[in-house]
Amino acid sequence: MTLAPDSRPSPTAARIALTASAVAAAGLLLFPLATLGRGFDADAVLLHLSGGVFNLTANPDAPLPPTGTVLALGWATLALLVASIVGAVRRANWFWITGLLAFVTAVAAVWVLGSGLSAETARIAADTTLRPGAKRQLRNFYAQGGMNLGLFLPIVAGLITAGAGLSARPAWWERLNRLRGLLVPAVAIGLAVLVGAVVVLIVQPAVNTSGTPFSLWGGWLAKSDLVYFVYSTLFAPVTALNPFLDSLKLATPLIFTGLSVAFAFRTGLFNVGAPGQLTLGAIAAMLVGVYGPASLGWGLLPLSVIAAGLGGALWGAIPGLLKARFGSSEVINTIMLNYVASAIFIFMIGSDTFPFLGREYHLPFKAPGYEPASYDLQPGSRLPTLLGLFNVGQGGATALSIAPLVALATYFIARWALGRRARGGLIALAAALVLGLLTWRIGIPVQIAGSQLNASFLIALIGVGVFGVLMWRTAAGYALRAVGLSPRAAEYGGISVARNTILAMTIAGMFAGLAGTHYVNGGALDEYRLKGNMPVNVGFDGIAVALMGQSTPVGVVAASVLFGTIDTGGVDVQQKLNQVDRNLVTVLKALIVLFIAAGGFLSRRVTDPPPPQLVAAAGSTGPAEAGHLSPAGAAAERATPVPNVGRSSEVNAQVELDREREGSK
Amino acid sequence: MEGLFAQLVTTAFLATFIRSVVPLLLTALGGLFSERSGVVNIALDGLIIFGALAGAIVTYTLDPVLGALAPWVGWLAGALVGGLIAWVHAVVSIKYRADQVISGTAINLLATGVPSVILTALYGTSTESPKVPHGLPLWGAGELRFSPPVYFAFLLVAVTWYVLYRTPYGLRLRATGEHPGAAASMGVNVRRMRYSGVILSGLLAGTAGVFLSIGNLDSYVRNISAGLGFISLAALIFGQWKPLGVLGATLLFGFLQALAITLGGTDLLPPTLVTALPYLITIIALIFTGRSAAPRALGKPFEG
Repeated sequence: MTLAPDSRPSPTAARIALTASAVAAAGLLLFPLATLGRGFDADAVLLHLSGGVFNLTANPDAPLPPTGTVLALGWATLALLVASIVGAVRRANWFWITGLLAFVTAVAAVWVLGSGLSAETARIAADTTLRPGAKRQLRNFYAQGGMNLGLFLPIVAGLITAGAGLSARPAWWERLNRLRGLLVPAVAIGLAVLVGAVVVLIVQPAVNTSGTPFSLWGGWLAKSDLVYFVYSTLFAPVTALNPFLDSLKLATPLIFTGLSVAFAFRTGLFNVGAPGQLTLGAIAAMLVGVYGPASLGWGLLPLSVIAAGLGGALWGAIPGLLKARFGSSEVINTIMLNYVASAIFIFMIGSDTFPFLGREYHLPFKAPGYEPASYDLQPGSRLPTLLGLFNVGQGGATALSIAPLVALATYFIARWALGRRARGGLIALAAALVLGLLTWRIGIPVQIAGSQLNASFLIALIGVGVFGVLMWRTAAGYALRAVGLSPRAAEYGGISVARNTILAMTIAGMFAGLAGTHYVNGGALDEYRLKGNMPVNVGFDGIAVALMGQSTPVGVVAASVLFGTIDTGGVDVQQKLNQVDRNLVTVLKALIVLFIAAGGFLSRRVTDPPPPQLVAAAGSTGPAEAGHLSPAGAAAERATPVPNVGRSSEVNAQVELDREREGSK
Repeated sequence: MEGLFAQLVTTAFLATFIRSVVPLLLTALGGLFSERSGVVNIALDGLIIFGALAGAIVTYTLDPVLGALAPWVGWLAGALVGGLIAWVHAVVSIKYRADQVISGTAINLLATGVPSVILTALYGTSTESPKVPHGLPLWGAGELRFSPPVYFAFLLVAVTWYVLYRTPYGLRLRATGEHPGAAASMGVNVRRMRYSGVILSGLLAGTAGVFLSIGNLDSYVRNISAGLGFISLAALIFGQWKPLGVLGATLLFGFLQALAITLGGTDLLPPTLVTALPYLITIIALIFTGRSAAPRALGKPFEG
């Protein structure tokens, strides 16, 4: 995607637009345009662009909304996509307009469809002749309808086409170029989704509860509908409050382990040991939480959280120390320590006795009962749920405090108003805290079912802030990043690689260890105790999260929320479909890691282009082997002192020696 | 202590010992080929799982047609599937120059999800395959009756040694891992050598998986590898990337595993702590050897 000298879109941009539009046009013809309604078992009423309606549900005469406008908009989208294809072939300047219009018409079709379905729902709600059960069923039936692949693809393709066409304009090229970092993760996700779609097509037979057999064509539409159904269910948790809070709950430990892996990545280390560090953190949190002095009351909570961090830090420091002192690979050592940690874990809570040389010894950690688990934490060491923390409603009503929003808004407004004044950040933070405390008791009533999202999510967000500040605002962070970019250069610059290796692994371990607070103090395993079913695999998911987030704190949060979302949605998919279970989500994550590792199979010219200054310089002076320099360039070169590159080492030594002699005279 | 010796000097213990050694030995020898060619193969654990799964499914499916011949085809299929997945690792890390550790980790992640998806699609259960009517045959006498991969594994030590140190292929493979640039300048096709090393490791790890699923048990069960791939990796490092060293290391680790299994029923040592010993030994061994004996180009993509 190089910038063409004239303002026509580059051949690469045209090719991208051509592919996107062609795929979307084919999708319009081959896939169902929309789902008019969906039953409980993922059976659906499908609408195709041709106007054909395929009813695969058990209810053959469900009233359907009028579809004329949607179909007209669908045909308009198809025409615009064809126009975009023509434009892309001719590398015309205008094809971004038709691409954008295709996007607009497709969105309009979705909107028209959505309002038609909600009108149907409202009509049923007002219908008094229906039983309440039937009413609820029919309303669910329409609520689960909406667009399908046929409208989804043009929406995406329209945006891609518009972006490709606009990339010919320098201003837009700059804007798009800033998003280049997202290219590899986006392509990796796209490819993983594609492979997942093929898996769904192969393993899941079409759902048809109507009783009438369908033709080959109808069967194909039903199967391709399942692909859309699976993905829309996987990503559905973002659209409603309660599932979203659930997905944040699953995202919380991923944020911790993602930060852990990302922190090590930044220093050039690969921390595969997050599962072990998490385990040790959880054990430490449990030890303080159960056996700490009860007289401390709520003071026990911070102690337990600190213990979790320290436990993980200790487990991370060991491979760091071994790498710095003996040069043994941190990858192998962290993997080995994962198994050691798991052995300690099972040893502690698997049984309350252990044999040693013919005698039985007693272990005080396992609570009585069949299940391997520790004793309950003291109430003072439990983290509250976020709902409990922010609920300021009186008399049973739920009202969320507006304080966090006010504080956030205050912070950003103050930062902006104070401009570049010294200590502006601190003043803004203080103002945010004061206003937050003042507005603490003001709440807005919300409709919300109980959510188990606990305060370790806040600890995770604090961890994100600590990561950012430590890495980009402190000298220690500068040293860590320098070691990660080039250990030799850092060593030459007086930065101790060994010290920073140990420091990086210790802090990485601390982040992973803090994930233990989510399970033990936060009660994420449905009980406030250490249990045998703690999912230590989230330590490995941290690798995927860090890779997808490109080792930036904000990226880690975004990737964690995405993974938490599809983890939550995966449970729904498993409930609805027989042959697809939530392990599909695990496969998707693994594929994303694999594809990101392969750079999205993109060429390096795309993912890591030479800096524009270099390209511009090469353009103005011509290729280096031509040997020509502009007069100004030649003068500049003569004026620059020649560095000692290219001299032999003997000459360099001689020069040094001469200099020393002159100095001693 | 007398009780301990009485427990250990029995043919039953010897049989457990050999059964614990075999998958480690097969996988570690496979890893030897990959790492000697300069490609880190952290995916061995996942390759074992894929091999075990393919072996069990193919054997079960072909049994009505082939009868007692089915497990042999299953063995072949398991090895080939292991090689196929290893090929994916090779493409990503050799052709696309990915970080080899990340690529291997991705394969291991795949191995936690794909078997469940396949088993759900085929049999409606996500944790285990149906039991195969015929497993691999058992050869031997008395309590010391083993399936063919056992004999294959011990034979393989000699074969590996011979191939590595006495054939042109072995020389080229070692050169590729030590100094790919020099090897390339001598006309060795570095990429092809690396592909062959990685795929060989997949074939052998797949065989180890087949031994677990139809040579030792009679079906694939979830988490069948139980970290054997990582212990093999440890044995490979502890054995200093040499066939005989690997044999010694796998004998030690296999002994510890058999010890943990046998101690499970006695009151001598906590078995959980004995199972952790191989990992601790590896950490300590790494302290003393560092990466001194590792192939020098290990983990570095070849840019030529």
